Amino acid sequence: MAQSTLALGVEAVGCAGFDAGIKGAFGYPGTPSTEGFECVEALIHAAADGRVAQWAANEKVAYDLALGVSFAGFRTLVTMKHVGLNVALDAYANSALTGVHGGLVLLVADDPGMHSSQNEQDSRSLASFAWLPCLEPSTVQECYDFTLRAFDLSEALQVPVMVRLVTRLAHCRAPLDRREALAPTGLGPVPAAQAQDWVLIPSNARRRYEDLLAKQPRLLAALADLNRSVPGPSRRGVALAGMGRAYFHQLALEHPELRDLPRLELAAQPVDPDLEAAFLATVDEVLVFEEDYPLVETRLGLRARVKVHGRLDGALPRVGELSPRLLKAALGLAPSMGTPAELDLPVRAPRFCDGCGHVDAFEALQEALGNLGATAQARVFGDIGCYTLAAQEPLSALHAVVEMGASISMAVGAALAGLHPAVAVIGDSTFGHSGLPALLTAMDAGADVTILILDNRVVGMTGQQPSQALDQVERMVLGMGIPEASLQVLTPLPRHHEANVKAVAAALQQPGPSVLVFRRECIQSLRRGVLREHDRNEKAERASACCTLEVQP
Amino acid sequence: MSALRIHGIVLSGVGGQGVLSLAQIVLEALRRSGFHALQSEIHGMSQRGGSVQAQVCFAEVPLTSPILDEGSADLLIALEPLEALRHVAMLRPDGHLVASEEPSADMAGYPPLEDIYRALKAVRGACLLDTEDLARRLRHPQAGGMALLGMASRHLPVPEAVWQAVITERFAAKGERVITKNLEAFAAGQGLVPARAEA
Repeated sequence: MAQSTLALGVEAVGCAGFDAGIKGAFGYPGTPSTEGFECVEALIHAAADGRVAQWAANEKVAYDLALGVSFAGFRTLVTMKHVGLNVALDAYANSALTGVHGGLVLLVADDPGMHSSQNEQDSRSLASFAWLPCLEPSTVQECYDFTLRAFDLSEALQVPVMVRLVTRLAHCRAPLDRREALAPTGLGPVPAAQAQDWVLIPSNARRRYEDLLAKQPRLLAALADLNRSVPGPSRRGVALAGMGRAYFHQLALEHPELRDLPRLELAAQPVDPDLEAAFLATVDEVLVFEEDYPLVETRLGLRARVKVHGRLDGALPRVGELSPRLLKAALGLAPSMGTPAELDLPVRAPRFCDGCGHVDAFEALQEALGNLGATAQARVFGDIGCYTLAAQEPLSALHAVVEMGASISMAVGAALAGLHPAVAVIGDSTFGHSGLPALLTAMDAGADVTILILDNRVVGMTGQQPSQALDQVERMVLGMGIPEASLQVLTPLPRHHEANVKAVAAALQQPGPSVLVFRRECIQSLRRGVLREHDRNEKAERASACCTLEVQP
Repeated sequence: MSALRIHGIVLSGVGGQGVLSLAQIVLEALRRSGFHALQSEIHGMSQRGGSVQAQVCFAEVPLTSPILDEGSADLLIALEPLEALRHVAMLRPDGHLVASEEPSADMAGYPPLEDIYRALKAVRGACLLDTEDLARRLRHPQAGGMALLGMASRHLPVPEAVWQAVITERFAAKGERVITKNLEAFAAGQGLVPARAEA
């Protein structure tokens, strides 16, 4: 049953996960990976055949959930953005040693150019760091085909397989032909006789690491058909990976002379060194087009005879994403020119939605700091989410934003070093992601920090997925040992501004950690009714709980 | 072997105006008209009221690059005048611009409107639409995008029946009234072209 539909690159990976017969899909939202999970989630819900799609509290939890499904003998897909893989790296790197039982595919979406991220790290580096294979599609159809292939590879080689996308492919929408969907088939859990492979105490881990290294030649052989060398009459060649492949092939449609260039086309790593050597023997110089880090370029550059051009010698910019325009310039093709407007255009930066509760929370914080005469010395540690927008004008309210959960731990560290007031601002979902352990340490250290949890009840930035901390924030805070007297729940609305300012000022002056929860639902999710059903059910449950109590003797 | 012509469309506006939704209609319409088409869009941070753009490429053979080079777009459809100017360099010398005159000026340093209009009218083939007025006349606050698409449709090789079908399906989940309103806005845009086109 072939069916052609339009899909984003990340959605194609999600579809392939479903069609490969996964039992469970897991992930944590993060641009540009989010729609991959949402796609497979929708398919799983529609199928209603006992499969699971579950957002996790963070990427490490998501990865461990997937590894558990694999252990239980089923196929599984786990999705995250590139910086999310840092959070899951402990699980990912060690799953290389345990290996997998049911096929495990990891979708990672990188963000070269940092459209919506704090860095442009290259996940291919982490795959080679873990001695694991990575497939790199360059079209929407390849996103699908490679993901299906990744499940087969994962089971044949008994390793997790990464499918690496970049923003431009993740958010490229194109026709997709799907194959017939397989139903999940279970292998049964890892047999007791093999359980020692999964127990990474040092004696087993040493053995499993040697097994992993011994597997590398098989891995090269299994991936061999995904990489190829295409001869051409020129002594100048190109090495292409990921979107470099996609951009080059399209340029060759418009500039047929490019078809004379010998090409090394890479869609999977590790790459067989013999393939690279054979290609290099046919050329005197090579231009490398790969997205993000100069990994292929560095490798080819180690062979001294051939001149290698790319990001390291200035043929391409060292940072940022590739584009057809950059390829043209590097290939010596005439640039196409447009006529820019005869007017200086101001940047239109993203901003808070009109009526967003985060703005009310920041205004209360800033006024409270001002009233205490603490504006100059106070430092506010922000976190990752819509509220990061407060770093820019007109609020200019944040002094540091690093990674998920850093707000609380950095504020604690700064407070322990004597900085006062030290304020952390974190969203509810980010708090559940990695703020919780930081709060536990804040309590243990007795640090003088004021923590604002901006609870909009959803993961706002990535499309208003329900937060894992939904309706649980106060209980989580109290559970970490914060005394009730040090916790307040406020409503960020203009009419509560004066009361909120007072509450923040009191918290700032109180010794030890104090927590202010500013709760008002994200206006985007409110408009879309994301939590309408949830809230209706909660209300009904509370009502029936009351009734039950009334009939108790 | 001769070189091949790849066509490009840029759609621009402000986060929340429906740029991505409009781009998907264009993509589907081109695909159903027998072309190989790809669309590129950026999600995330920029959707919070920042500049948003999407690109659609199409040709008679399969394509692999979802993004266009400067000076290579045949058509720019802009839902906001400043966001039109931001992307005019994407147009080919013989390209066409279809833009809303209605500013979304809630930002620092928004240039005087008359300067923006002057710069837009200097673009060859520019077609401007007072979407605010049109929305009022059609009693449909969101009419602007579909009307601009209607105006732009004369530059796209899509049969009328395909437009009708794609727009109808796009809004099917929202009911008959929403479908009718959007078809009406599209038709209004189609009708406006000759009167407002500039040399």
